[in-house]
Amino acid sequence: MIKLYDYVLSANCYKQRLMMDILGVGYESIPIDFYPGWEHKGDEFKKINPLGHIPVIDDDGFMLRDAHAILVYLAAKYDPTGLWYPTSDPELIGETAQWMLFAEGTTNTASAARLHVNLGYDFDIEACREGAHRLFRVLEEHLWFREREGLDWVCSGPHPTIADLAIFPDVILSEEGGVSRLEYPAIRRWSDRFKRTPGFSTMPGVFPAGHL
Amino acid sequence: MSDDWMNLWHPVATTGDLPHRHTFHGKLLGRELAVWRADDDFVNVWENRCLHRGVRLSIGINDGRELQCQYHGWRYANRTAGCTYIPAHPADAPAQTICNRTFPAIERYGLVWSGEDPLGEVPGFAVLDDGAAFGLRSISVNASAELTIAHLAEYEFQPVGHFDGAAATMTADARSELSVTLTSHAHEAASTAVFYVQPVDADVSVIRGVLSETPADGDQIVTLRHHSTELARLRERIEADAASRPAPTPMVATIEQVPRSLSAVAETPSGRKADYRVVVARKWETAERVAGFELESIGNPLPTYQPGAHIDVHLPNGLIRQYSLTNGPGEGSVYRIGVKLEPGSRGGSSCLHETVREGDVLAISAPRNNFPLRRDSVKTILVAGGIGVTPLLAMAQTLARDGLDYKLHYFAQTDDHLAFAPVLDRLGDGVVRHLGLSPDDTGSTLTQLLAEYDGAYHVYVCGPGPMLEATRDIAADAGWPDDAVHFEYFKNTTEIDDSSTFEISLARSALTLDVPGGKTILEVLRDNGVPMPSSCEQGACGTCSVNVLEGEPDHQDVHLNKSEKAAGNRIMTCVSRAKSARLVLDI
Repeated sequence: MIKLYDYVLSANCYKQRLMMDILGVGYESIPIDFYPGWEHKGDEFKKINPLGHIPVIDDDGFMLRDAHAILVYLAAKYDPTGLWYPTSDPELIGETAQWMLFAEGTTNTASAARLHVNLGYDFDIEACREGAHRLFRVLEEHLWFREREGLDWVCSGPHPTIADLAIFPDVILSEEGGVSRLEYPAIRRWSDRFKRTPGFSTMPGVFPAGHL
Repeated sequence: MSDDWMNLWHPVATTGDLPHRHTFHGKLLGRELAVWRADDDFVNVWENRCLHRGVRLSIGINDGRELQCQYHGWRYANRTAGCTYIPAHPADAPAQTICNRTFPAIERYGLVWSGEDPLGEVPGFAVLDDGAAFGLRSISVNASAELTIAHLAEYEFQPVGHFDGAAATMTADARSELSVTLTSHAHEAASTAVFYVQPVDADVSVIRGVLSETPADGDQIVTLRHHSTELARLRERIEADAASRPAPTPMVATIEQVPRSLSAVAETPSGRKADYRVVVARKWETAERVAGFELESIGNPLPTYQPGAHIDVHLPNGLIRQYSLTNGPGEGSVYRIGVKLEPGSRGGSSCLHETVREGDVLAISAPRNNFPLRRDSVKTILVAGGIGVTPLLAMAQTLARDGLDYKLHYFAQTDDHLAFAPVLDRLGDGVVRHLGLSPDDTGSTLTQLLAEYDGAYHVYVCGPGPMLEATRDIAADAGWPDDAVHFEYFKNTTEIDDSSTFEISLARSALTLDVPGGKTILEVLRDNGVPMPSSCEQGACGTCSVNVLEGEPDHQDVHLNKSEKAAGNRIMTCVSRAKSARLVLDI
């Protein structure tokens, strides 16, 4: 069974749990005392990941780190439909890669602001928040025009991809970092749609959507 | 900001911001709003705060009929924002005073308009009135509405179909404090747009633009992109300007205090009040000798109701009758009741059947709930005899919506006697029809239904007196405790003996009064200026119930069950009296 080095309040760990819940893949969560124990920065954990961060997975001896890389692996290996990581369509996989890089941006801004506020990290909080709003404005306009074109997701296909999944936790937890989503109605509608994905699961601070 | 903005209509969302079962997070003049469209198309604009712990309702669940808070599951009704259910108190009906603050909403030009205390009409723009208006993407700006509208007057755009040609000339056609109408002319083409600025807070505003004409299909996306890009460029200039000025003082919305004891506040209306005027929007024959009525409010919206609630209907002939609401959750645009024509009608049901017609106006009371539904029941059995189905229909629809285990057993003579067939059909497997049974067969069926009792089972019975009594006896024999058997009588057929004389002491009001023979406690209280609510005034509905602190009541009602009567701590003041010389009442 897949082992996930995990922390319940981490947005990046939530991305892995969410992916595995949606794909129906069983996993064992190995809790890391991220805050206040700082276990991921300790010598023991650095044998698992010398960069000193989580998540890390161990799939029957195959070790992989970095949240967005793990999503690529999980979708490529465990999604027989190929919809979450659409390698058969060059344009769609290109878009997926583009928005996965965008998700690096939301992680380093919106989610970083949350780490600063809630979990003892010392970042330039104003820069994090400004950066998050800059990206959210781009995402808002993009998603608003997607809706006009009859499309529901960040990429052009009819099904969500790992890019939606990678961006979603950074967005939905942003208010904990002081980044309001008041100005972003299209992002909020997209969040509601994503929450209705079959197999969707929550974490503290993430609430389910109602039934349609 | 100028003070009169509080009295203006402002756009708070676009129509597209309110898709099916979504809750929109808005803000106007510093006040946060939860905006949601119910399945009946009504747009709710509410204070963005659960009355319980202040959590934002904009993260709540819009189930199409009610909005449920994510924190402790309090539910608020479509239209009224009244609280219908508190999961921590599943056995109780929430007090009707628990009601969130609502703001008016009007949809026009593809925008949802609301306001703090708007006077007059939603702003009219003649250029938009031919129905071809085309909404642009709203742009949020980090600057005051004053600064945004000042820059917006300088906004430049190209007419539809000429986005790449020579720069257009702009004319400003009209201007108000918060709106500007601009026309772009180029290549002998012209496009007109109205821009309205929504004051979100002292330092945030939203530009809401509407073109006067809808472009041809092929031009729509490119038009929207053009304005999205140009307005975003304008936003950069406005925000740079705002950054060079001192930050304005934030707006402070007045938020009403919620009393700490809110959920415990009791209602104290006096008498048989008929505060609502309704028009009979529809009258139809829903079953043999049963007329259905849809009552629509005139003026004030209808108040929140709960499953099991009834209203008083004041009839044109001066009579007052009680009818249960059949409405399911969140169906508060009209009240639906069912009225059976009683063979021995004393003027109530015959008046409704024969005299009252569609379009007639009736006076009704606010709903009262003396037959509340517990939602902590593991299994709920609803037993309806004939027209007694009405309150149970409301209960069944609530239980079905909540996914709770229930069955509605509907006893009637024939198929033609089943009322509200469309509701029964929607409930599907939840309804079991028992047709044409003799009293004996009814008894054996009830014996089967009630054979099994387990700790958290509850049964609700409404129907003719003999059936209620049979059900209560069968349940008691099968080991059902009194507090698991809930019932509502249509009427009290007990012969009332009002000959006794006694004294009542009112513990809270420090009054001692004599009740002579021929007068009820209720009448004596009212004669002495003590406000008392009442409804049926024959000992059936429970509205005039009062707690007894001392003395022995002489119960003559059919509202209390045997153990409640034996406990002697409540009394129905409209019919019951005293066996002791004195009663001390908790009023």
